[in-house]
Amino acid sequence: MNLSLMTAYVVVISLYVNLGIALYGIFARPSLVKKLLAITILSDTANAFAVLVGYRWPKTGTPKPPVYTNSTFNNQTLHYYVSHAVDPLPQALVLTAIVIGLAVTVFIAFIIIQYYRLHGTVDVRKARR
Amino acid sequence: MKASEVFVLVSIIVFIFSLAYITSLGGLGQLPPVNVRVLAQRYLELTWNPLKPFMSSSGYESVTAIVWDFRGLDTFFETAVFYGAIIAAIAIYRGVKITGKGKTIGMSPIARTITRLSIVLIPTVAASIALHGHLTPGGGFQAGSVATVVAVLIIMVFGRKAIIRKGLTKSRILLLRSLGLLGIGFTAVALLLAAIALGVNAYIFQNQPKPFAPLGFPKIYDGMILGGSLLLFNFFEFIAVTAGFTLVLLLLSLDEKDVRKVVVEK
Repeated sequence: MNLSLMTAYVVVISLYVNLGIALYGIFARPSLVKKLLAITILSDTANAFAVLVGYRWPKTGTPKPPVYTNSTFNNQTLHYYVSHAVDPLPQALVLTAIVIGLAVTVFIAFIIIQYYRLHGTVDVRKARR
Repeated sequence: MKASEVFVLVSIIVFIFSLAYITSLGGLGQLPPVNVRVLAQRYLELTWNPLKPFMSSSGYESVTAIVWDFRGLDTFFETAVFYGAIIAAIAIYRGVKITGKGKTIGMSPIARTITRLSIVLIPTVAASIALHGHLTPGGGFQAGSVATVVAVLIIMVFGRKAIIRKGLTKSRILLLRSLGLLGIGFTAVALLLAAIALGVNAYIFQNQPKPFAPLGFPKIYDGMILGGSLLLFNFFEFIAVTAGFTLVLLLLSLDEKDVRKVVVEK
């Protein structure tokens, strides 16, 4: 098994383990704080998946970041860049997803704090009573 | 362990294994991918391409070019969502007075001295990330997140009241944040306004000149790559993100007693 395939397997397996932990936290843990932590793990896992799908391991050479680093421009440098750089679109989407995710997490955190102030608990089992 | 808990656990495990099986059948395509999609190749090709001036963006960094040029309108509305989420969070704290009066308990002189040094260095790094966002990895979002570390340090080391005594009150931070968003909005329509005045055509979120829309932001000045509208967008986003997160941290660090008086008792 070559190195690139093994790395991809390790990354994918660990992402699925993360996904399992996140789903367990959301569905099975009664504390709202732990549910929030699990949601952040879930969103980070989804983001990492998106970046993985846009990754590339070219047959020759090594993958490059999506930044044009050559100060001179000609068809050769452009071709090298296009054939070696990873997909920038998932990275752009993940970038905005992280910031919005953070803002929404802050909002949920504020609601949980407010819930605790009003009801004295963050346990959903007690809240149901 | 109850039967319902076992059911949840088994369901999650079955779900994860099904997803993993779909991946192994090729659900995510070949892993690791050898090539990127055609759309990605177009984006990479047009990020910096003097041979196709009407179609290309104005910086070396493809991610920033996508975020603020090719898909600029998406990012604008995403910034608006970010703005709305923080406004909603602030609404919970309406009526709570945030003052800088009273004694503050900070950390030791060692922590204070180190913080005094680093609160000068961190904004410098953040400004560099924001202003070079069109050339190197980085941009407004990342720079804003870095600059927020200053607020965290001041609140943790000098106390929450110190940040208000420095002049950063809640209303001023909100003003700064609104200016950031207004700046983004103005940059998006700046060429359109100029085109109306000059009697030519232009588009919203236009960066470089297009066919039948001759106006464009400056791309290169004296051999230096300016990045056109990317530079302005990154700068205003940097301000909006820094102010937004600073405000959230300020609210999170309020005394629970003061908040309870307003939020719970009234």
